[in-house]
Amino acid sequence: MNEQLTAALRAEYAAIFAYGVIGARLKGDSAATARAAESAHRDRRDSLTVLLSGDSARVPAAEPAYALPFPVTDRVSALRLAIEIETRTAAVWRAVLPVTTGERRRQALDGLTDCAVRAVRWRRVAGITPATVVFPGRPA
Amino acid sequence: MLATVLPITGCDLIGPAPEPTPTADPLVPFITGTLALAARYDATVDAFPELAERLEPIARAHRTHAAELNRVTATEPPSPAAPPATGPSGDLDAALDALRAVEKAGLEEAIAACLAAPDDRAALLGSIAAARATHLEMLR
Repeated sequence: MNEQLTAALRAEYAAIFAYGVIGARLKGDSAATARAAESAHRDRRDSLTVLLSGDSARVPAAEPAYALPFPVTDRVSALRLAIEIETRTAAVWRAVLPVTTGERRRQALDGLTDCAVRAVRWRRVAGITPATVVFPGRPA
Repeated sequence: MLATVLPITGCDLIGPAPEPTPTADPLVPFITGTLALAARYDATVDAFPELAERLEPIARAHRTHAAELNRVTATEPPSPAAPPATGPSGDLDAALDALRAVEKAGLEEAIAACLAAPDDRAALLGSIAAARATHLEMLR
């Protein structure tokens, strides 16, 4: 279980880093949405850190920087990265579900659901249809 | 003498035991409910064709979820798939309000099913719950 939770923590670190890059390329409502998303990922990171510390598990530190999957140079690439980040993070949270029960599974489901909903918001901002996917978090 | 006054209560004393009644999979009602959700979307599109582009992907998603649940539970799809839903009453806004209510109830059912599920079904039900949350986002 700690392996999957640690993977979720690493994904949240990467998401927080990515939103720093994404937010810098967005304006207005989209920038505010990016700030809210970054804040949500920080909250998940904090919850995971507390949870793993309580288990006396090794809590990995964030890397100073993360390699982006593609250059983010404008609004279009920023939106693409936001969708990519939420999609990847949803998958990591989904992987926590089978190895947890009770309140921890609930937390993982909340993580998956929040990422899925944010991915839909970003697809709508980017004008991608359909904005939903059939099985959020499931590998394609 | 004792043996002659005891009632014969077990059929196996006089013939083969009856076949045990197969226990229905606990997800069968959830699958039925999933198809009923799809039918509600269909009925709404019939009444308001202008909503087709927005709602048809959601109806398809519910049907795909039901098919995947049938596969995982080794159950047959019900025949007919779902009774036709009653068309919405009132105007378009009222129809969307009604869809939001049934989708919200469906989300709660999916969350409960995910939390109660054995490990090997948790990820699928988690994806279905997350999908329903994204449907609500599309209905906002």
